[in-house]
Amino acid sequence: MIAEISDLQFSYGRIKALDGISLNLAEGAVGLLGPNGAGKSTLLRILLGFLAPQHGQGRVLGFDIRQEQPRIRRYVGYMPEDDCLIPGMDAVTFTAYFGELSGMPRQEAMKRAHDVLFYVGLGESRYRLLETYSAGMKQRLKLAQAIVHDPKLLFLDEPTSNLDPQGRKEILELIQDISSKKDIQVLISSHILPDIESVCSEVVILNKGRLAAQGKLSELRELHYRLYEIKIKGEGEGFAAKIKTLGCRVEETEDKILKVYVPAEMDIREIFRVAEEENSQVRHFVRSRTSLEDLFARAVGVD
Amino acid sequence: MTIREKGYTHWDGQLRERRFPWAPITWLGIRLSFKKKYFKFMLFGSLVPAVVFLVGIYISERIEDFQYMFRGNKQILEVNPAYFKTYLSSDFLLFMMVMILVVSGAGLIADDLKHNSLQLYFARPLKKSGYLTGKASVIVFFLLLLTLVPGLVFIIFKLLFAGDFRFLASYPWLPLSVIGYSLFVTGFFCSYALLFSSLSKNRRYVSILIFAVYLFSDILFGFFYENYRKPAFALLSLKANLQQVAAWFFRLKPAYAVPWYWSLFILLAFGIAAAIVLSKKVRGVEVVK
Repeated sequence: MIAEISDLQFSYGRIKALDGISLNLAEGAVGLLGPNGAGKSTLLRILLGFLAPQHGQGRVLGFDIRQEQPRIRRYVGYMPEDDCLIPGMDAVTFTAYFGELSGMPRQEAMKRAHDVLFYVGLGESRYRLLETYSAGMKQRLKLAQAIVHDPKLLFLDEPTSNLDPQGRKEILELIQDISSKKDIQVLISSHILPDIESVCSEVVILNKGRLAAQGKLSELRELHYRLYEIKIKGEGEGFAAKIKTLGCRVEETEDKILKVYVPAEMDIREIFRVAEEENSQVRHFVRSRTSLEDLFARAVGVD
Repeated sequence: MTIREKGYTHWDGQLRERRFPWAPITWLGIRLSFKKKYFKFMLFGSLVPAVVFLVGIYISERIEDFQYMFRGNKQILEVNPAYFKTYLSSDFLLFMMVMILVVSGAGLIADDLKHNSLQLYFARPLKKSGYLTGKASVIVFFLLLLTLVPGLVFIIFKLLFAGDFRFLASYPWLPLSVIGYSLFVTGFFCSYALLFSSLSKNRRYVSILIFAVYLFSDILFGFFYENYRKPAFALLSLKANLQQVAAWFFRLKPAYAVPWYWSLFILLAFGIAAAIVLSKKVRGVEVVK
């Protein structure tokens, strides 16, 4: 288990950032999702040990989030969202420096810095001043400093932001490679849902400081609802309105296909019964794979 | 097969708890200072008075050989606590210390604020106190190089040139005064530089602030003192306050007729205010935005 937290509460003054969150983050790559203000950053702050929760308990990698914050940070790698560097340094010195601050001996940190810079694709430019790096290179550098001390847990905050498609693909490949090592757990906070979908096996969705959904992507897709794509000949409005009353959520695409989210407990034959009642002919009826975007929208209650 | 093709590899070492987790910050700060333009020149320029005073100590022991140079003004080269105080609180040395703060101290926190690197520091097993100690130690290193090191070297060479311990027997407290004042002035300038460095993200503004506040406080004192002739205006000047405190450390009469402890109080109050501001500006909650 990467982290276990129970009934976590945190407020910034009157604003409740986290409201009684309980989580068990399993091993592997976990995606942390939520709209702005959902409490993702606050949860990360608490997991990293920067903030002490006002209520609730928790352990990260077995260390108490209240008592053992420095020990948590020793074994955690953190790749922040913002650009961050130290001017006047080259990538090797920068990466080795943060390795040393994590507790690596100087010589070892320097050796390892060369290795991880080659790994993230900055081998050729490792002696260049950081100020001259492009956005993509800075992103790779942030990843390098996060993995230089071989952390057990890696927090990645928007790892693919500001990247072109090729750069994004390469960073995702690196993350996939890292998370495929059984003894490195990865927690990714991102707004780019396809990224999470391609890398993570499990997601945590937060909304307004509460846990909106959590679990393995495959299970979440199955458990909450089934998605069908339906095409109707004739007037579809009455049909859509009627199946909405049965508890389904209906979306109409530009090419007039209805995306119907059917609750798990509902009998699918109900849809055909409604079509018959409305004199609508079902021309197309396909079970669709729910995307993370669908799941996210449903969990946070937005279209 | 390249490292990249091999995939992610583990490091087979063991992370250890450092006794001084801030030490890498200090060494990096010192190295980066030496990379700055003119810094080496400025540092060695600041050491020129030390060399001159050291030569003075040598001449004071061979005064008969150099009599033609002084013609009765032997007291200039009398090596006593005033000699040490003159060196350690001279206008030139204090000015050069401020210049070193301008060049190597201004960006210590300001650069981290500007480039968002605080979050990288605090994602490591490093506390706020460790971070500030690491940054402060950069300044401590350079300022002690200009104060404590020459002060102790003067005493050692005085004893070597004299060939006996009479000097130390006359002023047994002098080494403690040198250590005490050096630490005091260094501590004050540390809080002074770090305070301003934490107030802005722009290193240039910080440099200007460090220089201007020191200079302006002295100009203000000069203006009021010239017009009203009240020594209490010395309390407005950082330089004059440091010199007043230096006089107390070396058991001398202060230059201005103001109790030395008022100056000490002002400088300590400044240091405490700086510590409070620093603890608010350098905060863990800013780590993740």
